[in-house]
Amino acid sequence: MEEPRIGVYVCWCGTNISKMVDVEAVTKEVGTLPGVVLSKNYKYMCSDPGQDLIIKDIKSHNLNRVIVAACSPRIHELTFRNACEKAGINPYLFEMANIREQDSWVHTDRTEATKKAIDLVIGAIRRVRYHEPLQKRSVNVDPATLIIGGGISGMTAALEIANAGKKVYLLERTDHLGGQVARFDLTFPHLSSARQMIRPMIQRVENHPMIIVYLNTELKEVSGYIGNFKARLVFNGAEQPEITFGNIIAAVGLKPFDPSVIAEYGYGKFPDVITSLEFEDKLRAGRILTKYGKEPRNVAIIHCVGSRNKQYHEYCSRVCCMVALKFVHEIRAALPDANIFEIYADMRAYGKGHEEFYAMTTHKQIIFLMYDQQKSLPLIREAYRDDDCNMLIEMNELLSGIDIEVPVDMVILMVNMEAHDNVKEVVRTIGVSLCGNQFFIEKHPKLDPVATTTGGVFIVGTCQGPKDIPDSVAQAKAAAARILATIAQGSVPVEVTTAVVNESFCCGCQTCISVCPYSAVSFDEAKKVSVVNEVLCKGCGTCGGCCPAGAITSKHFTDRQILSEIEGIMSMSY
Amino acid sequence: MSQELTKPKLKLAVYWGAACGGCCVSVLDTHEKLLDIVAAADLVFWPIAMDIKYKDVESMPDKSIDLTLFNGAVRNSENKHMAQVLRQKSKILVAYGSCAYMGGIPGLANFFSKNEIFKRAYEETESTVNPEKTVPITSVQVKEGTLEIPLMFNDVFPLNQVVEVDYYIPGCPPQSERLIEVFSVISAGTNLPPAGSVVGANDKTNCDECKRKKSDKKKVKRFYRPWEIQDDKETCFIEQGVICMGPATRGGCGVRCVEGNSPCRGCYGPPQGSSDPGAKMMAAIGTMIDSNDPDEIDEIIEAIVDPAGLFYRFSLPGSILGRKVL
Repeated sequence: MEEPRIGVYVCWCGTNISKMVDVEAVTKEVGTLPGVVLSKNYKYMCSDPGQDLIIKDIKSHNLNRVIVAACSPRIHELTFRNACEKAGINPYLFEMANIREQDSWVHTDRTEATKKAIDLVIGAIRRVRYHEPLQKRSVNVDPATLIIGGGISGMTAALEIANAGKKVYLLERTDHLGGQVARFDLTFPHLSSARQMIRPMIQRVENHPMIIVYLNTELKEVSGYIGNFKARLVFNGAEQPEITFGNIIAAVGLKPFDPSVIAEYGYGKFPDVITSLEFEDKLRAGRILTKYGKEPRNVAIIHCVGSRNKQYHEYCSRVCCMVALKFVHEIRAALPDANIFEIYADMRAYGKGHEEFYAMTTHKQIIFLMYDQQKSLPLIREAYRDDDCNMLIEMNELLSGIDIEVPVDMVILMVNMEAHDNVKEVVRTIGVSLCGNQFFIEKHPKLDPVATTTGGVFIVGTCQGPKDIPDSVAQAKAAAARILATIAQGSVPVEVTTAVVNESFCCGCQTCISVCPYSAVSFDEAKKVSVVNEVLCKGCGTCGGCCPAGAITSKHFTDRQILSEIEGIMSMSY
Repeated sequence: MSQELTKPKLKLAVYWGAACGGCCVSVLDTHEKLLDIVAAADLVFWPIAMDIKYKDVESMPDKSIDLTLFNGAVRNSENKHMAQVLRQKSKILVAYGSCAYMGGIPGLANFFSKNEIFKRAYEETESTVNPEKTVPITSVQVKEGTLEIPLMFNDVFPLNQVVEVDYYIPGCPPQSERLIEVFSVISAGTNLPPAGSVVGANDKTNCDECKRKKSDKKKVKRFYRPWEIQDDKETCFIEQGVICMGPATRGGCGVRCVEGNSPCRGCYGPPQGSSDPGAKMMAAIGTMIDSNDPDEIDEIIEAIVDPAGLFYRFSLPGSILGRKVL
């Protein structure tokens, strides 16, 4: 190994670091450690002059290792790696010590914070000595895309990609396109027709020369990796020829919550207690009638059915409040004299035009009744023989505090959105993860909301979480843009810090295979050793951690690097 | 005249520190090959078999012993003194057996302090009657003079934490066949492995040689002690829920325990590049627990009796963990 020549740069981050850490003391303390050729501090290391300082020093002092003690590597590791590369040294010979998020921002004692900064930098110094140069790698991208789910999200993404001249395979499990939106009558808050929106879209998808639609088709198996996937499809029980593609969009949507598990509502027992989707069916048919063919005189709409309730689903379904208000408009238009009761737990009107829509709806002569989710749910029961209604809702009205009975002929349950039953199969097939609510997990909740931790696999629409049509469409277009960008590039970079198996140490116990979340580890039966597919590998380190024989190394996170860093951090005794 | 005859005989020493005696027996277990050894080497020091005093060894010239097999851990001042003397007198010092290599079974004492051990041994054990609470002291005045016994340390050390070690031969005890191989190489004096090497063992861990059927289906709902299940004699022990240290343990013993239908206990220590087989094995076992429910996971882990003693049975003092923090 070459003798390390380390340059250490301590960043002030304006006053972010320098206020709580004595950067001068840190610079001085670490400057004399073995391998350190120079140590400097500067007001903003990430600025152009800061980076230039590093570049100049690498060249003039022949540095072969660089440490910047500054913010989180999540923010500027890439910045400084690029600076190293510009100066002609491998970017992986750089190490960052986080003395802002992990130090200056979280401490109040300047002396202690300064000591901690020194410890962190010493850790980095000990570690960087064992860094090895790593080479960037990339793979070519097949320009075709597989989209799973023919709802509005899937179709939007399909059109976006196909309109750019790239092939799309659109897979739909049922016998028709359109998804949930095809069941809706009007949409909120503009009360425009869902059908008029979705019909032309379906036609464009079906007639598009670059979109191949598979109806009644299931995804059997996906293999490969970003840029180079293969899939086997099953149409009406028969296996189809294999298709190849470079990216995947999962737009598998959701299903409505089944309210029959909530005893209070008597769904399934009372024929005129129906779900919001069943009510949409009535609206699309153009008639609001009870089971016995009569127009209801009293209609109640119960919110948060299966939502915001730990017994069922803790999360909010985000659209039901506005859909309920939309129903008010449609009922009022059809039944000018009916009594309409909005039985709600909270009114959530956060979207564009939603609050205005809510305000407008309050003028429709309706009665808002609030209930307390935590205390007790409204109870629906049969009315007495001489009541002039079919059913009664017993509830404690929260705002008045009074126990009341609400006469009803029809009750609409605003059911929660929940994940499909087969979501686990999809997850296994395409290699994404689920959150506790069984929705797909995005790569980053804020900065990367449509990608997943599996390269080339994107998630859009309600399979990622409950959302309305505009949000679904925005996600679909975002994913399409991401995919078109990689197709335009022709290749995508893949993870550099992957795991490698040392075949001369691997004993073939196969502990590593089932732990890999990316299915990147397999067993070579001929050699009796595990093999890591470096394109699939994301460098998470799980296999390296669990390898009892120490045969798997995670590049850039070797035992030696990690232990040296720990020893460095623990080495000072003050 | 062949060179063989003109070549002077090697000087060989065997010594025990904190040991059970099994390592010395493993030297005897070379059976008739012992005659080959003594044909090639003069045994100059071997307390279990020869009557030679420490002062005789101390008076030997430095580097006059060609090869010393030091077995047992370093537990007290006597062990340490003899380790230092033998280092000085020996050209090649071999840590022979698991105790000298990693601390071994005596090394489990590092889960306690010296005081805890004394309290248990001299006050609390069911067979102890010691109302005066007498504990060993290193020196006592009697009318004939001063009596001294070695000082027991607070820690058990593997040999390389006390003196520099040239080679390690693992095993509890090492397989006698492997000793003969190593002895032949050393007595030939050519092609010696680099200093610090583990010799007389394989590069890969035990699974490599193990004939039991292995798969990637290592999912365990309940861990068993060997006597709690009917071993099917052909499936990987771990896949049957019995913790076997084989995956984390260097091969070389011939998978003797598993061949005898008993899980590997880890006496050959970690393979190259792995310093803490206990931690490695716990990490591996952690991935095999077949549950995502925290309570159920706790329950499954509870079934692992004495995990510290199980995973660190032979390796505690030499591991990163080293000892229980006091």
